[in-house]
Amino acid sequence: MKNLRVMIVDDSTFSIAVLRKMLEKVGLEVVATALNMNDAIEKAKEIKPDLITMDMTLPDGNGIECSREILKQLKESKIIAISSMMDEEIIEKAKNAGIKAYLQKPVDADGLKAAIEKLFAGEELYQILQDNYEEAFKESVFTFLKNEIGGEVELENYQLKYKGVRKSSGVSVAVGMIGRHRGRLIIDMSGDTALNMVKKILQDESQTLEEAIQFLSEFANVIAGNACSLLNGLNRSFGLRVSPPTVIIGEDITISIGDMDSKSFMIKTDLGESFMNIGVQKGDESWI
Amino acid sequence: MDLKNINPFIDAVTEILPQFGFQSLVQKGFSEKSKKIIASGVVITLGIVGDKKGNVVYCINQEGAKQIASIMMMGMPVDELDDMAQSALSELSNMLTANACINFSKEAVNVDISVPTLLFGENIELNLNKEEISCVEFDVDGIKLEIYVALV
Repeated sequence: MKNLRVMIVDDSTFSIAVLRKMLEKVGLEVVATALNMNDAIEKAKEIKPDLITMDMTLPDGNGIECSREILKQLKESKIIAISSMMDEEIIEKAKNAGIKAYLQKPVDADGLKAAIEKLFAGEELYQILQDNYEEAFKESVFTFLKNEIGGEVELENYQLKYKGVRKSSGVSVAVGMIGRHRGRLIIDMSGDTALNMVKKILQDESQTLEEAIQFLSEFANVIAGNACSLLNGLNRSFGLRVSPPTVIIGEDITISIGDMDSKSFMIKTDLGESFMNIGVQKGDESWI
Repeated sequence: MDLKNINPFIDAVTEILPQFGFQSLVQKGFSEKSKKIIASGVVITLGIVGDKKGNVVYCINQEGAKQIASIMMMGMPVDELDDMAQSALSELSNMLTANACINFSKEAVNVDISVPTLLFGENIELNLNKEEISCVEFDVDGIKLEIYVALV
């Protein structure tokens, strides 16, 4: 909520004055006001506000048209419609135009504040996820390996050789994370490393590759589960859950990391190396 | 075979693919597999959680994947499965699975999906850790699209 720059679009100077007062009271900065559509589009382009309050009736157009034009240029800005008229038809049109919330006039300060908080909560939450997922996964991996196989455990940042792809070492596992925002964990190692690990953990030299694959699946599941619990502990709104692991086995497989925000690591242990990639992606906002 | 888990995906394919301009869409048979899937070409897997939990896997051979990517990119030639083509295919899997989620919700089953994981190669062995995996095959303009659903 802090540092949000707001523009008010309304054909009434009185409404602008009321909204300005409400917005400034909750600590937001009103950076521009516009009384008509053309002025609103021009100012939005120039000032790039984070939030726009949009009246539906404007002298030279309407709020839907105006929002559509603004969002063509400013993909990151969020628009809340504030209008005296509100019915299902116009709400539907507003949604289709990319408007995020619809409030009816007269707006009360608490209702407006709540709508803005809800609208930007996802952004702040995503920032918290971005700031913390790396540590959460590192801690989760480190704790598991230290407890289960012992010896030296090191995690090094790793730069993918080819942009966005990883040639598999033999056995990979992918686990999805699903909540307010989404993500994915990939762990990749050679069959030998997986086998070494399962032999050590179970203290049984007769373990087979089949069993090593089962181990890797459970390993990834625990790592992702524990890391998500750590993150959910930071903020319950994450609501992160893990999907069942998919294990991928083969000699000639390339894994595409994709263009999401991700970090790669090499996990070094006495029993061999493993590659780990964790990626996160912003979830969709729902209508308020 | 329990079709409840696979029907939402079949409906998703029949709704989404024609929107991209695919002309012919023929649903081939169903089959059931247990645990292991072997595929060559492009494999995209997504996790599902909620009232049901599991995975969905889309498999297309290399050539077919390029053709689909090309059609999705409005006819741009795709000679190689580059970043852009991979991104287009991931996005397609995302759309299909999200649409299947909407179909599930019509039956009062609420599920959410993870980001897709795309991989490619030869003889890819997939282990979904489920005893029963439903499979449906489509012929999309001559391209074979296989969908595996492992949900409980």
